[in-house]
Amino acid sequence: MIKISEITEVGRQVLESLFSNPLRSFLSSLGVIIGISFVITMGWLLDGMNNVLEDTINLIGEDMIYIEKFSWTGGHQWKLYEQRKDITYDQAMEFCRRIKVAQIAMPITRKGGAKLKYQSNTYNGFLTNGTKSEYGLTPAATMLDGRFFLPIEDLSSARVVVLAYNAYKTIFGETEAVGKTIKIQGYDFRIVGVIKKRGTAMMDFVDNQIFIPISVFNKMFDNSHRSFSIAIKAGNPKEMDEVREEAQGLMRIIRNIPPGKEDDFSLNETKTLESSIETFRLYVGGIGIGFTVLSFIVGIIGIVNIMFVSVTERTKEIGIRKAIGAKKISILLQFIIESTALCLVGAIVSYIVCSILFFVVASTLPGLVPSLGFLSKFIPVSFFFIASGLSIFVGIIAGFIPALRAANLDPVDALRYD
Amino acid sequence: MRISESNNGAIIHIRNIAKLYKMGTEIVHALRDVSLDIFPNEYLAIMGPSGSGKSTLMNILGCLDTPTTGIYNFKGDDVNEMTDNDLAKIRNKEIGFVFQTFNLLARATSLKNVELPLVYSGVSSSDRRERAEQTLKDVGLGDRITHKPNELSGGQRQRVAIARALVTSPSIILADEPTGNLDTKTGEDIMKLFKDLWKKGNTIILVTHEEDIARHAQRIIRLRDGLVEHDGVNPNQLLV
Repeated sequence: MIKISEITEVGRQVLESLFSNPLRSFLSSLGVIIGISFVITMGWLLDGMNNVLEDTINLIGEDMIYIEKFSWTGGHQWKLYEQRKDITYDQAMEFCRRIKVAQIAMPITRKGGAKLKYQSNTYNGFLTNGTKSEYGLTPAATMLDGRFFLPIEDLSSARVVVLAYNAYKTIFGETEAVGKTIKIQGYDFRIVGVIKKRGTAMMDFVDNQIFIPISVFNKMFDNSHRSFSIAIKAGNPKEMDEVREEAQGLMRIIRNIPPGKEDDFSLNETKTLESSIETFRLYVGGIGIGFTVLSFIVGIIGIVNIMFVSVTERTKEIGIRKAIGAKKISILLQFIIESTALCLVGAIVSYIVCSILFFVVASTLPGLVPSLGFLSKFIPVSFFFIASGLSIFVGIIAGFIPALRAANLDPVDALRYD
Repeated sequence: MRISESNNGAIIHIRNIAKLYKMGTEIVHALRDVSLDIFPNEYLAIMGPSGSGKSTLMNILGCLDTPTTGIYNFKGDDVNEMTDNDLAKIRNKEIGFVFQTFNLLARATSLKNVELPLVYSGVSSSDRRERAEQTLKDVGLGDRITHKPNELSGGQRQRVAIARALVTSPSIILADEPTGNLDTKTGEDIMKLFKDLWKKGNTIILVTHEEDIARHAQRIIRLRDGLVEHDGVNPNQLLV
């Protein structure tokens, strides 16, 4: 059998031959470098997307269900949802009164671009939400300062407002906001609280909001073409099935949907988001794998080619080695180790280059394009091992046939070769 | 297969071997019918003009090739029955090759070149180094162990090659035109080295077409057209 002394010796020789011509080694492993880079890039993107998903789930709350006219995930069926009847304020309120299993339920309605004014400055980039005081009991309303508005303020249509973090930061900077008065659509509102920063990176938009009592909202804005959302907090992710079932049944009763007809509303929750991200992930993965396989095929061809060249160039050397006692397996191993080393060095190069590149990209690009904030600055170390494993596999595959040719050379012919 | 009783103590025992090559449709008889025995501590020269079959015979004696027909026993083992791995083992342990063109690995130092046969026989790296160093000293290259072939003269290269052949303490040293690429003076030095090795008890087979070289040997075999034309003691052996 093959001896340890031989393997270490072969390893030494292989490194020597790789570094005796670094440019050639680099060029021949370029295909593999590109292939490995694809794998690392794909993993890096998917990893970033996982972070987004996690952030989103944490943000929305795993035990929240939103009943809405539109589905969060069915973008392609937009026309269908558009034709649904709006969920009216009365329907939403009736639902909230009648739902039993849920911990909290409240209507929410939104309007973009309301005009805010503080002192002489005007702002209109914030989403205005009208909701009930119960919203203050959800994790989405963890306060940085002050409080959420109270039931009495909602009932009495008090002009009070709660600012989400970015709204506060934009208008007040570092200064105290609670107790101050701002104008919304020309009406004075007293600020009662500021919500803690929630969004990370790409989900930053959740902090660009303000909240006012729904009773006030209804008086300020025309609601005739507005569909309300109903936010339901199950209280416990384990009770989601029960809550979902009751919510759906109750909403069908309220909307008078006869048995056998489809729902004309959507139950949105993080789970549906997860499955749609899963689909997206499959797309990215599929495209990535396609490119990866393609570049690995090119890479393997490159390695096979250079290994054949190497075998031919070193025919005489193979003859010498055989004459002094190298067995077939020794020669076979020598060339397989060489092609594997070539690929492995390629993988290491890819990993280092990708690490530097991604660090630079993730450090600079999100500053220009905020939605790319999900990109991670670091590649998980596990990808180094995946890339290495893959390159070893590719090296063995690519090296085998040239190595077999070398091992099977006739020693007499090989020695005679010039 | 052991058949030592028929060997009479010979290292190599050959009977009626022939070697045929197919060149396209033509069949070439490189060796027609050769029989010989080689005993321990013989100094033998195989001579003949080109095409006489001496290279073929050398390849067969060196277990690089096997005969088409005939018997070849190496130390009592039937070479015809051996696998490629068995042949590699014989080449590694029993035969030391010295070539006309030296055939050293260009990228490796003298030391690494001489260590190489020991690598294939599984000797540990410290033993390897020690033995290779000693052997290089024995051939007079103790001060050239870190040099690469292109940093050595032709004579020095051939000495490295001889050290490589000797390092495994083989039964036979098989030298194919060992002075063919050297000037006369250097060639004489190399022949002197072979003589010293012979005197120390080594068995040496020289393959050459030069009478000057062959006269160093104790016994000369002349081949012609794949047959042994003459096999006998060299009465004019140079013993200097």
